[in-house]
Amino acid sequence: MNAIEISNLKRQYKTTIGVIKRQTKEVVAVDGISFDIRAGELFGLLGPNGAGKTTTIKMLTTLLIPSSGTATIMGMDVVKEAEKIRPRIGFIFGGERGLYWRLSGLDNLRYFATLYYLDKNVAKKKIPELIELVGLKGREKEKVEGYSRGMRQRLHIARALIHDPEVLFLDEPTMGLDPVGAREMRMTIRDLQSAKKTILLTTHYMFEADALCERIAVINKGKIVALNTPEKLKHTVQDLSIVEIEIFGIPPEFLEKVRNLEFVDSVAVETRDQRQILLVHTPKGPSAISDLVEALNGLRLGKIVTREPTLEDAYVRLVGGQM
Amino acid sequence: MVKRIKDNLRIIGMSFEIELRQNLMDGFVLFGIVIQPLIVAFMALWMLKDKGPDFAIFIVVGSAMTGLWTTLLFNGGNSIRGERWAGTLEPLVGAPGSLRIVVFGKVLANVTQSLLSMIGCYTLISLIMGYPLTLSRPILFFISILLTVFSFVSFGVIIASLFILIPDFQRLQNTLEFPVYILCGFLFPIALLPGWTTPISIILSPYWAARALHGSAQGTLEINQIFISWGLLIIFSAIYIVGSGALYRLVLKRARVDATLNTTG
Repeated sequence: MNAIEISNLKRQYKTTIGVIKRQTKEVVAVDGISFDIRAGELFGLLGPNGAGKTTTIKMLTTLLIPSSGTATIMGMDVVKEAEKIRPRIGFIFGGERGLYWRLSGLDNLRYFATLYYLDKNVAKKKIPELIELVGLKGREKEKVEGYSRGMRQRLHIARALIHDPEVLFLDEPTMGLDPVGAREMRMTIRDLQSAKKTILLTTHYMFEADALCERIAVINKGKIVALNTPEKLKHTVQDLSIVEIEIFGIPPEFLEKVRNLEFVDSVAVETRDQRQILLVHTPKGPSAISDLVEALNGLRLGKIVTREPTLEDAYVRLVGGQM
Repeated sequence: MVKRIKDNLRIIGMSFEIELRQNLMDGFVLFGIVIQPLIVAFMALWMLKDKGPDFAIFIVVGSAMTGLWTTLLFNGGNSIRGERWAGTLEPLVGAPGSLRIVVFGKVLANVTQSLLSMIGCYTLISLIMGYPLTLSRPILFFISILLTVFSFVSFGVIIASLFILIPDFQRLQNTLEFPVYILCGFLFPIALLPGWTTPISIILSPYWAARALHGSAQGTLEINQIFISWGLLIIFSAIYIVGSGALYRLVLKRARVDATLNTTG
């Protein structure tokens, strides 16, 4: 049985440009996407910034009305039956907003327990359990403004679970967390998966999607460009090798030059501290290195390595090098 | 049905508590609750010290009502704006509890704290200045105060919907301040206004609140006239409350179409 069904879902916004001569421009955030999520599945939605991930989640959580298309949660339409859906879903949006900073973590949970019609006695039992689950025990009476980013993110999770929802929407839950905090969050997500919750997760971290998700949809410019298991997505780049070249500043014309080389499939640039890493996807493998070095002649190069493709490389190929 | 009413009363209570606690932790709001009413009360009573208690009580009640309306308009409106900026408006809308009921609790908290502060400040300043404020019909006056709270809250729920619908509505806050003072007869009788404004005043429940308060404080209204004011106050407030159900459905649908529940869209 499918917990979530999405068919040709589209969402566009109108924006105005100019001051005197105002022009209305239509921006398509989500462009006719379709996919289903099985009950109890942990499904990943990956895409670069502005790809339409958050807009999709906002439509599914009844906070935005789609321009066209349909979406159902547990068989209920997100527009016509929003009020029936709300008690059965939980959601968190990445970042630190969405909490009452001048109140304690405990008061935030008490407030939302009331808004989700939780019986007083049930709430009294449930809130301490959740505080313990997300590791806030002993700090729950402190104001949220004094919490670390990780603690706020964990409070978000507790808030989303207050009414024991069947379906969870987690929009970049590990965004901005330190490695320990992110690992704890992933463990919490895994526990939720074991508890048979249906989860739609968005993340920028490929290893996270690889480790957690049963299936992944890659979204780019509002469209689903791939949908498969992490293993099968990795297969899409098995014919390629990845050449990683450390560069100290790469001008756009050099990037274009590499992109236009006959044996190059796609190119992406990652920034690490003062360096940039040029990621070249090529079927030629290590033999491409000499041609690449020649194309980059005049630039200061560092270490060059060739490696097997990962899920991240599959993602880079699918979104055309946007990272 | 009974469970629904109980749940909604719990939401009102919790929203009231949360709003009050947040206000008490905000220095700016505390200034508006404690310091500003003290200054206003001192100035109002200082200006009236030679005019006699009959005239003074009209001005005291009137200026307290203007303070009440200003607090409601600014604190209530800014509270919705604050929810949007803090990213909490979306979780509120996404929860099964009605946003209208949440707003009712918030407005009730703002009106109650403002009213208590006004009463406290005017009493304190009049005692310090040795200028007793006498009420002609004290029992009717206190019942009128309770009904005034109901009137302002129901009116506030309608006004708050504008802040949900229009993210930049705070720019128009000031333009709403004076028309309500004038049309509701807080500071001078509406008989002084052009005749065409009277139908507008009549449908505003705070007008009936002002009439009942002024009338019971000064003794200028007969008891049955005060009862009529109470009746019309209750009828118009009830119309606002019932009408706000459909209004909030429309406003929230519009906000979900226009993506205005969050500052980030």
